[in-house]
Amino acid sequence: MVMRNRAAWLPWALPAIVLVTVFFVAPFLLNVRFAFSSWTSFRAEITWNGLENVRTLIDQDLLANAVTVTVLYAILCMAIQNTVSLSLALALQRTSGINTVFRSAFFLPTLVSPLAAGYIWRGLLAPDGAVNSFLGIEWAWLGEPSTALVTVAFIDAWKWSGLITLVYIAGLNGIPESLLESATVDGAGPWTRFRRVVFPLLAPALTFNVAVTLVGALSAYDVIAATTGGGPGDHTRALNVVMRQQWGQGFFGSASALGFTVTLLVIATAVPLVWWLRRREVTA
Amino acid sequence: MRAPSRPLGAAIGAVLALSLSGCGSSAPEGTGQVKLTLWHNSADPAPLLEMYKKFEKQSGHKIELVSIPSDGFEDTTQTKWATGDRPDILEYHATVSGLLALNPAQNLRDLTGEAYIGRSGDLYRTAGSVDGKVYAAITGFPQVFGLYYNKKVFAAAGLTPPTNFTELAAACPKLKAAGVTPVFESGGSIWPVQILPILYLAGANQSNAYGKAIASHTSTLADPGSPFVSGLTAYAKLKADGCFNKDIVTAKFEDSMKALVTGEAAMVAQHSDMLPALLAAAGGDQKTVDETVGFAGLSSDKPLVTYAPGPIGTFYLPKTGDAAREKASLDFVRFMTGPAYAEYVTASKTFPVFKDVPDPQGVPAVLQDVKKAYDTGAVIAFNSDIPGMGGLAQLMSELIAGQKDPQKAATQLQGQVEQAAKAAGLPGW
Repeated sequence: MVMRNRAAWLPWALPAIVLVTVFFVAPFLLNVRFAFSSWTSFRAEITWNGLENVRTLIDQDLLANAVTVTVLYAILCMAIQNTVSLSLALALQRTSGINTVFRSAFFLPTLVSPLAAGYIWRGLLAPDGAVNSFLGIEWAWLGEPSTALVTVAFIDAWKWSGLITLVYIAGLNGIPESLLESATVDGAGPWTRFRRVVFPLLAPALTFNVAVTLVGALSAYDVIAATTGGGPGDHTRALNVVMRQQWGQGFFGSASALGFTVTLLVIATAVPLVWWLRRREVTA
Repeated sequence: MRAPSRPLGAAIGAVLALSLSGCGSSAPEGTGQVKLTLWHNSADPAPLLEMYKKFEKQSGHKIELVSIPSDGFEDTTQTKWATGDRPDILEYHATVSGLLALNPAQNLRDLTGEAYIGRSGDLYRTAGSVDGKVYAAITGFPQVFGLYYNKKVFAAAGLTPPTNFTELAAACPKLKAAGVTPVFESGGSIWPVQILPILYLAGANQSNAYGKAIASHTSTLADPGSPFVSGLTAYAKLKADGCFNKDIVTAKFEDSMKALVTGEAAMVAQHSDMLPALLAAAGGDQKTVDETVGFAGLSSDKPLVTYAPGPIGTFYLPKTGDAAREKASLDFVRFMTGPAYAEYVTASKTFPVFKDVPDPQGVPAVLQDVKKAYDTGAVIAFNSDIPGMGGLAQLMSELIAGQKDPQKAATQLQGQVEQAAKAAGLPGW
């Protein structure tokens, strides 16, 4: 029975497996060696140099900070996006004219280029920008160490929350009405219905959304590059930002080592996270 | 309800998630005419772009311009270069450090022996050449770094522009008292904040002595009390004394030009190729710029300007292996450095690099100031010959944010220099 199910499942998964293999796994396997090489723009020879690139990045105080910033940023993005999106999904779950308008409005930023979004927000959040004019304060949201990372995470959330909201709405609409009615008849209030029925049955959507937002933010570059460029100082200098800087200076081996670090970070985070989240998935 | 355990599904989900993270050709036309690809700086002025068109018209070849944004120009060029993509003509920095990063012996055509080199004086002794071979065709007057200042602001405050860092520090409180930002720094664009420390070092780098000492490893940037550490210390003190604009971290260089022209700021450390940006900040009104803005040299102790051969109008010919295109691209260099060059100098109102070409007429006043300062005392930027100095601007950001002190920043930058110098196989490393 299991074999039959698997046989039925494979053809559907095959296109995805082929795409991931050709466009991710194969390039990754072909290029991972550069992380352990002396590749620079200064000479043509590329030789194996073990962990020298990692040592260099540590010696230059670049690696530890970049990993810390990246992880913090990913957690912030994941938390903000899922909180905002789940709230929006609950508010906009019912299909009605006005809700459709709002769903479209919240989805629109998803269609904007991340760089364009970053540049627009950089202007809005400038010390003499529109946000401060509205609030009647003067604050360099992107220039102060205390607010830069959180602000960039909020911009990322603004950009992607519409998409995450749609996934939650689809999840909410997949919950049988009868279950909620039964819970109501049994005396459950709105909060209990959400906690005991809705949230557990929303687990597949939660798994997808948490994984996508976390992994997406671990490989963040575009919004950060357009807003802070990694500053102030190195407060938003995520791994990919340092990678671009190393690459730009011609240190391709070190840049590859940073790219490899991002990959390791994603594997170390995504595999256990998805496994754990799927364990708590239930079906109606 | 069931609670399945699906490690396989988790692994596939993770792989899918992982995938999210990864998220010139010859064109003969029967008459020997080809299509040439030219990677050029987006800040190329209109007269230079006009020269490209004139070459097309005269030769019959086509030039496909690939514009590299001037903001992040070095990073973007290096990134494209690293993919193995090669244009027929590359517009890029003429500094030795910039050239080393292109691995010239491997990738660029040797232009030694071309006629323009003999007409350029000593230019190729400090720029565009490595190991005695000339790879560049420099047509642009060097970028001259110094202090742009607002003449009206200084006149109103009863001050003269500073000529050294002591005078600069002394002018700060007086300008602040007059309600003006003494020096406008643009940390939002990152690269401009390295200019003031480079200016400081001109005093120690006469005849490129300091740059050569660092490049040959007889001194290090991090030596206690080194000129570099002193320069960073002087910068940090200016910041602590409130000499800079409050939005130093977020301001872009366009903001600095605007602040200077409007008199919101008294001074901006910048280079001469930024004159078009200055003109744009004045709404295109050259008269306003001439009446308002002056230019002066500044170093630790003397009124020196710092120069560096810039990317604008500096051309390299990468090896492409296509004989027809290589011939056409050499024709391009000969055109740009040949008789048409005098027209370019006249049209662009910049100073020529060839001895046999006369200075243009009607040069804007501020550019005359630049030339005067250059002729009075010019020192090549200390970092021109040192590879691995690309991280200086990033370290300045950390210095401004208070995350690094001058000594620590110098130590870290020395590590980057070492990394690059060893990779480049420089003697002494």
